[in-house]
Amino acid sequence: MRSQLADLFYKNAAEMPQKQAIWCDGKTATYSEMADLVSRYSNFLVSKGVQYGDHVAIPMNNSIESVALFFTAADLGVCLVPLNPTLPLDSIKVAMQSGDMKHLIARKSFLSDCAKKGGVYVPGITICLDGEFEGAFPFSEVATMPTTRPACEHIKGNESLILTMTSGSTGTPKPIDISQQNKVDRSLAHIRVYGLIKEDRILAATPLYHSLAERLVILPLILGATSILLPRFTPAIWLKCAEEQKPTFTIAVSAQLAQILELIKQTEAQGIDSFRSIVSSSALLEEKVKIELIDRLQCEFHEMYGTSETSTATDICFQAARNKQKSVGLPFDEAEIRILRDDEDTECAVGEVGEIAVKSKLTCKGYYKLKNMMDMATTNGFFRTGDLGYVDEDGYLYFAGRKKELIITGAINVYPNDVDAVVKQLTAVEDCAAFSYPDERLGEVVALAIVVKEDCELNERTVKMYCARNLADFQQPHKIFFVDMLPKNAMGKLQRNRILSHIKTMGLD
Amino acid sequence: MTMTDIKEFVTEYIQREYTVPEEVDIMTLNYVEGGYIDSMAFIQFISTIEDEYDIEFEVEDIDNPELRIVGKLIEFIKSKIDEQK
Repeated sequence: MRSQLADLFYKNAAEMPQKQAIWCDGKTATYSEMADLVSRYSNFLVSKGVQYGDHVAIPMNNSIESVALFFTAADLGVCLVPLNPTLPLDSIKVAMQSGDMKHLIARKSFLSDCAKKGGVYVPGITICLDGEFEGAFPFSEVATMPTTRPACEHIKGNESLILTMTSGSTGTPKPIDISQQNKVDRSLAHIRVYGLIKEDRILAATPLYHSLAERLVILPLILGATSILLPRFTPAIWLKCAEEQKPTFTIAVSAQLAQILELIKQTEAQGIDSFRSIVSSSALLEEKVKIELIDRLQCEFHEMYGTSETSTATDICFQAARNKQKSVGLPFDEAEIRILRDDEDTECAVGEVGEIAVKSKLTCKGYYKLKNMMDMATTNGFFRTGDLGYVDEDGYLYFAGRKKELIITGAINVYPNDVDAVVKQLTAVEDCAAFSYPDERLGEVVALAIVVKEDCELNERTVKMYCARNLADFQQPHKIFFVDMLPKNAMGKLQRNRILSHIKTMGLD
Repeated sequence: MTMTDIKEFVTEYIQREYTVPEEVDIMTLNYVEGGYIDSMAFIQFISTIEDEYDIEFEVEDIDNPELRIVGKLIEFIKSKIDEQK
């Protein structure tokens, strides 16, 4: 059998060759052009020896080429591993090992940067996306490739299509293994829930190495709609795109929406009237932001709750459920929600806060090569999300915070332990702890409390520069506090959730 | 170290993920507002420049909005290198 995901796309290309398939950064491609691109990429990879089941790493930017590569991977039965290109080289190496990458596709700057720092090894081939690089095949060769579709004929659907890397620099990455079938099922569920149609112009405005944007670019192309892909996010670029490209649907990160509203208010921007529906994800949007956005954009407004492992689990339409304003909604048809007590087995009563657990047909295959970790996070088929919440008498889910120690900055997860481990390498550091600090723009930012060793000196600049060299961009501490001690319990265990109040009590903030 | 060398290094770095369109005057481009380097990655950019040219940015330099303009940054790096001599 051929890939269902690729088949759905090629069928649209055959039926509507001249329809606009995608826009990104001023460039467009029709379905016919996009199909040719996907086929050329497939032929190119096959000609270089890439085979069914191979894992291909790609430090991924938002571009038409990246989107085409998802469909190429599906059609060949290859697994794509999108990486955050700003990760430090050591983290890239760890990610490459944990994902068993065989081949590498990257921009020249990434390859030359790696070469300067000792390089990364892949047993297969390396492809340079822009220009030429020693030891790498230039991607420009695709122009000479045929446009016939070299589809793999024995796709079962359970092949890994995308491994999404979820952890930071020093912790063990947990590659979320998403199969071809997962991607199709997830897309179809979102098409149904949000009533998406071929006429929709669907905007993706987050990085393509995250599952949200992957979903938002694959979905329109299998539906026969148009994908609008923002090359990179700033509120100004988003607004300009919304004015010019007239998107009708998007799922945005709540931190983005707050920034967009701020800019709309500052500039009195007009003409953003194309949206039929906007979905906010990742964290509950402040009610006043929500109300002002609806007032300015005049569209249906949804909130959703989900995880990368389970995909979206619940949804609520703000206008349709006015008496449930603080809720993240009711479960998708594919999903069931349970709220578990601390014993991880018994269920909480209505209104009682516990850990949100999700059982869904949209759940990923698991963590790649880490079956135990997925099993450990699952109770009776329900994935324990690490989030706290409760359900009301009508079955609506409410989010109530996080159980896991996690900082979510602009929708990206930062594990504080990863930051701690790097900062502790500084010889003047006696003890330190990263913690969440509230931020208007990003929701939360990483803050750092440091205890300096006696007779040692350490300044903010030294810490910042050390972090700049050893942590990824999203892990950088925005605020640094020097303290005499960290709050710990009687057993000496760090109480991370008390650091902020401790700092405020000390008058340091 | 000439201005041309520094320009090549800086412009290559800011285009690691996205190529600046030809019609844009790169010397007057605000690379943070343009989204080529986001505010979170800015400090990494500064540390890379420090390592490359063996210079040091003061805290007020890091906060100086002018240095988010490509041309101004290049001039600043050149002046820092000259100071070291």
